[in-house]
Amino acid sequence: MKPVTKAITVAALAIALGTATGVARAGTLENLERERAFLVKAFLDPGLGTAERLAKIDAGKPRLIDLERMVLRDDTLTGRNTPVVRKAFANYDLTFLVHASAEKSRALVDVWLEQIGVTTDTVMAAGAVGN
Amino acid sequence: MTNRTKSLRLLLATTALAGWLAVGEVYPVMAGEPDVLVASIPTWSPQSSERLVRLPPSYLKKSLDRDFAESPLGAALNETEAKIGHKGNTLADLQASVEQSEGELRLELRHQFLAEKRAYLDLMANQIDLHRQQAKTRLKLFERMLDDLAHKKRPDTPSTRELVAKQTLARDRLQSSLAKVDLKVFETATMPESRYAVKYGQNVQAIEQLLSRINTHGMNQSLTAGGIEMTKEEFIRHMAVEAEAELALADQDDTILGYMAKLVALDAVSLSEEAMDAELADSPLPGNAGPAKAVNFFMSN
Repeated sequence: MKPVTKAITVAALAIALGTATGVARAGTLENLERERAFLVKAFLDPGLGTAERLAKIDAGKPRLIDLERMVLRDDTLTGRNTPVVRKAFANYDLTFLVHASAEKSRALVDVWLEQIGVTTDTVMAAGAVGN
Repeated sequence: MTNRTKSLRLLLATTALAGWLAVGEVYPVMAGEPDVLVASIPTWSPQSSERLVRLPPSYLKKSLDRDFAESPLGAALNETEAKIGHKGNTLADLQASVEQSEGELRLELRHQFLAEKRAYLDLMANQIDLHRQQAKTRLKLFERMLDDLAHKKRPDTPSTRELVAKQTLARDRLQSSLAKVDLKVFETATMPESRYAVKYGQNVQAIEQLLSRINTHGMNQSLTAGGIEMTKEEFIRHMAVEAEAELALADQDDTILGYMAKLVALDAVSLSEEAMDAELADSPLPGNAGPAKAVNFFMSN
């Protein structure tokens, strides 16, 4: 085989294989979980005033929106049957918090509290038991 | 008897004997024992089945054929085919010469013709073994490729299916709520769209254009056999069947070759007998005359 033909063949093969293999990428879900942890920390931090808390939450929103979309568009997560991935997709409202709250036109913290089981009724019931 | 005739007889006897041995050992009439000469056959080691299985179907066969042509087995097959071509020409020339010759020259040419036929059969046997080796290698490769495809398509566990279903639902939900979320988050607030969001939109358009081009690309078109479109798996199965057929035909070729070898051996025996008959005609065997014919010699003094 001529060198030029051989080079073209090798290149074609490499491209075909490269395309088929795809680029291995991991970490979208881990990044989302980390950013969501910072948001929850902002919800719960007793050292923050109301204005400061809201500013922190609003500042984190765009990053969370991007990360939530990255996770949902990440094909490498499809069918990856690990505990982390299973847990992430078990509850859309909790994992994709910003999208869920925008869909429901509710505050982020409300949706989050609801998903972890804290509602007005449970708080009132807890208060009644305490009294 | 002249020295020339003596050597011819010796040659004919050797050819006949070798012919019979060839029929019995090298070219088994009943196929299925081809391993006698296999040890010295050059090999072909195709590239890994995992890589081949990823190639477009139209490129797969060409890639395999080229890989084979560049292998020691392919080179040996080419060389043998060239030799068979030359040997065929020699046989044709000799056959014509035999028809035009007479006497002792004709006998010698017939012997030469037989010897060349034996050499031709040797080459044909070698070619059949090379073809068989190629077909076996291809068959093993196609079986591995089919295994790889089956491995990729293996059924998911119930929990994986459940996960995929949830992921599909989540993606559908994102898609259906995308506009609403953008409106809520970006239109009412002062924050601009992120770099990711802007670039993602541009990239999606580019990807769609590229996919459209890929779908219409000539090398990405599905293959057809008898006008019926085939998937990659069907195409590999089709090639596996072709390799199986080649193996079966190689067995049949062996049978034909066995019969040819037998005919060469029979011709050699016949030629040997003809030579002996001619010799016997020149110097007949001693007779066995009894004493009765000499009685008259003893009847008088």
